[in-house]
Amino acid sequence: MSPRANERQARILIVEDEPMLAFVLEEVLIDEGFEIAGVAGRLETALAMIESEPFDVAILDANLAGVSAGPAASALTARGTPFIVVSGYLPEQQQSAFSGAPRLQKPCRPDALIAALRGILPSQ
Amino acid sequence: MLAKSSSFSALHEENAELRARLDEANEMLGAIRGGEVDALVVQSADGPKVYALQGQDAENNRFRGEMLAQVSDAVIAADSEERVIYLNLAAERLYGFDASEALGRPLSEIYQSRWPQLEDRAVAKTILDKCGEWRGECIHILRDGREMNVEAGAAVLRDTTGLSAGTLSVVRDVTGRKRHEDEVLVSEVRYRRLFEAARDGILILDPATGKIIDANPVVTQMLGCPDTRLVGKTLFEVGLLTDDGVGHDMVAELKRANQIRFENLPFESPSGRHHDVEFVANLYSENDRPVIQCNIRDITERRRSEEHVKLLMAEVNHRAKNMLAVVQAVAYQTAKFGDPATLADRLSGRIGALAAGQDLLVKSQWQGVEVADLITAQLAHFKDLMGARVLADGPPALLTAEAAQGIGMALHELATNAAKYGALSNSEGRVRIVWQIIDDPKPTFSISWLEEGGPRAEASGRRGFGQIVMGRMAEAAVQGVARITYGAGGLAWTLTAPLDDALATAKVGP
Repeated sequence: MSPRANERQARILIVEDEPMLAFVLEEVLIDEGFEIAGVAGRLETALAMIESEPFDVAILDANLAGVSAGPAASALTARGTPFIVVSGYLPEQQQSAFSGAPRLQKPCRPDALIAALRGILPSQ
Repeated sequence: MLAKSSSFSALHEENAELRARLDEANEMLGAIRGGEVDALVVQSADGPKVYALQGQDAENNRFRGEMLAQVSDAVIAADSEERVIYLNLAAERLYGFDASEALGRPLSEIYQSRWPQLEDRAVAKTILDKCGEWRGECIHILRDGREMNVEAGAAVLRDTTGLSAGTLSVVRDVTGRKRHEDEVLVSEVRYRRLFEAARDGILILDPATGKIIDANPVVTQMLGCPDTRLVGKTLFEVGLLTDDGVGHDMVAELKRANQIRFENLPFESPSGRHHDVEFVANLYSENDRPVIQCNIRDITERRRSEEHVKLLMAEVNHRAKNMLAVVQAVAYQTAKFGDPATLADRLSGRIGALAAGQDLLVKSQWQGVEVADLITAQLAHFKDLMGARVLADGPPALLTAEAAQGIGMALHELATNAAKYGALSNSEGRVRIVWQIIDDPKPTFSISWLEEGGPRAEASGRRGFGQIVMGRMAEAAVQGVARITYGAGGLAWTLTAPLDDALATAKVGP
């Protein structure tokens, strides 16, 4: 599925500490016609990008190199930017900062991720 | 403990009663001897019998014998040569002699005395000589060798002229009581020790008042004050219960149910530290007196370790899922590039490389992986060539978990590529793997894979997954830069990264 012709390409921020997953995610998103605003593998990088980069939606790994991505979730909520949480944790192990956002369990199918992404895209 | 006081007091009462009776018997004997008594009334089976004590008639003698026979303590008299001149029925039983066989024998043949202390015998003799009587405890050894704890009273017998004519002894067997006292003492010491050495806090409360009667060292330590300050206070007063009402309810509930359990009672120590305690109270009876025993276990550590285990389980779950996601990604990419016929082989190889990295991380408890170990693990297929055509050289360097995975996967791809098209595809090519830590201008870690003697390497037009792994994957794992060059003798790959991002213990130099 590719974006409708009159849609401008939605810009996605990928927050994922696993290079392999970030790379594959990037490929899948590009194939689907999205634009990549950036890839952050560390919380600090993610917070800096949330602060300065223009993007429409974020995909957030709940754990970044052993550090909770909770602050990134809070920053996104404060910015009013929708995001999807991708995590290996069970829902009950999840922090409250992520509540309200759609969650996907790792490993997740690329098509499920794309569907979830389209579900939260702000209408244009 | 209460057990001690109650048993001891019972024994004490019994002892006092026995002494009173002994005194009575002795007094009566003395009175009779002194001629102070005119007549005695003895309750016999035929009704009361009156004995006149005046005169030396046969009836009087008969009466004395009968009266002494009635005494339940052993009465035994000896003359000045210590020969038995009289023993009553109780003495016959106690020492196992008939009067007929005992009379005239030396006292020492009836029993031997043993004294707790060597000098006690001499002391007793002195007292008897000086005061005319002695009272105390010693051990009598019977003719069958049995030892018997006795409580005895001895008095000097005097003839009509007042001269010593022998000794009269009244003896009571207190072996059973002694044994019992000893048992109580042993029990007290044993259980006091358990109480003192227990790892749980133990409090004894009086159910009537809810106040503390006894507290063991764990409790005093827990509450931070000596037991002398705990005794007489309620649980609320010592800070164990936050609400005095709970203490009152507890006593009422205990009377109903005999046991109360609080699984997790929050409690703050005097130093302000929070503790979780498990509190179990039981209502017991000690010699018909009710007491409440409270066992208090500090479960702060246990709860902390339970929390820790929970956290670890969540972490294990997270890591497992992450690894599955990586395997899934690798599978997609492996399928996307390359010959479908070799898909299974290529995928297995890559999953194997991921697994080898995991093994090393687990062995080091996720602290990191030594570069040399990583090379050995990732080039396990080429172990015959190690040290000959594959040379590894570099200083000790502990890679972070991420760096180990990124570099490990890259090494796997480099080795697979070399075996197919590069320096390990012929019989003479060589590979040098070298790594170093450079301090200047910035702390940097670098690792290179250098092929020589292989076929000329060419950059393929289409970038396969292998190139992606050696390139941007490796770069992302260490925030570094990967460079691949193609030369006459094979491929050269170098990854350079900030030291902090590559090594777990980012220290430079020796």
